[in-house]
This record gives sequence, C-alpha cells and structure tokens, in this order.
Amino acid sequence: MTTMLPETELAGLTADTVVDARGAACPGPLLEAKKAMGTIAVGNLLELWSTDPQTGTDVAAWSAKVGHEFLGHVVADGYDRVFVRRAK
Amino acid sequence: MPDQEKLVIMVTHGPDDPELATIPFAMAGAAVASDVDVVMGFQGDGCRLVQKGVAETVTAPDFAPLAGLLDSVREFGGKLLVCAPCVKSRGIEEELVEGAEVCAAARFVAEITSATSTLVY
Repeated sequence: MTTMLPETELAGLTADTVVDARGAACPGPLLEAKKAMGTIAVGNLLELWSTDPQTGTDVAAWSAKVGHEFLGHVVADGYDRVFVRRAK
Repeated sequence: MPDQEKLVIMVTHGPDDPELATIPFAMAGAAVASDVDVVMGFQGDGCRLVQKGVAETVTAPDFAPLAGLLDSVREFGGKLLVCAPCVKSRGIEEELVEGAEVCAAARFVAEITSATSTLVY
C-alpha cells in the first residue's frame, strides 16, 4: 500500500523507530528495514536513513509486495529519510 | 501459483569474480526481506563462497559485503544447497559454513521445479 504524503508533511513526522542505514549498499538498507519491522508494533512508523539513492524506490516496491504502507521519502543533509508504516 | 513464493538462485561464480559472486546474495537478501522463500544453489566455483572464511574476503564495489549478505540470508531462513561433486573435487566438504547442505543433482531439480522462479548466475 502506498500513501504518498507531501514532503513538507513527511519532514515533520516523528517516527516511532529510526534506523540509521547510512553507508550501507544495496540491499543493506532494505534488510535493515526488514529487521526493524520485526521489532515494532503494527501501526507504528519506521524512518529509515540511507545514503543509497535507490532506497526510496526499493522500499516502496518492498512495501507494496509485503503489505506495509509506504509514505514517501525526503532528502535531508546528504541522505534520504524514508518513511514506512507497519501495516500487518 | 503456490501461496508461498519460492525463488531458487543458482550461483556458479566464485571469489575470483566478486560482482557476480555478490549479486546473487543481494537478490537473495531482497527476496528473504520480501517474505519469499529462498534456496541458493552453489555449483562449480560458486561453492567456494560457502567455504568457511571465504565470504569475508569478497567485496564488490558499491555492493554490500558478501559476508553480511550471507548472514542475512541465513537469518531470514534462506537455504544453502551445495553441489556434492563440486565440493569433493575442491576438497572442501568439511569446510562449509554453518547451514550449508551438500546435495546431488536430483535435489536441485526438485527445488527448481517446485519454485516460482529460478535465477542463474
């Protein structure tokens, strides 16, 4: 499921869990997201930090496949902040 | 299509080709993260990648280190099947990483014919 939020709204979100995967190469950030999803409750929001420019599209595809809610990503200072909500 | 998807990934390149050795592990990592059952099959020089201590020596530019990917694949339930004559000819039967299972051709055939898709590297 994808519920794309405006960047201004994404930038102001406070996630329940933040995972710092900066410096990890594909598919490292995705694997970190997978691990983190197993530790948070359904409905909680995960924020994934990544310096891999493909992480946003990768996590969007992953979320659609496994059934989580992808909210989008915003560019921060040299990295991307990717937001996905655990939906199951 | 079966309810549970299964991907078989055949690996034939060893540490001498870090990129083609690493790509199948990257695909396997993405697959297990996506709740797809994964079976990795190692044949030819690909067997060297599941010899103890070898994965730690393989890093392809701009890819995650192979050893970490191997750990993730195992952590999320991926299976590692290794060609029996391939490990015998290399003398590494007793040197395989934890979780690696030596098998013969019929097992590979059974895994492939029951899979949703098969990738060959």
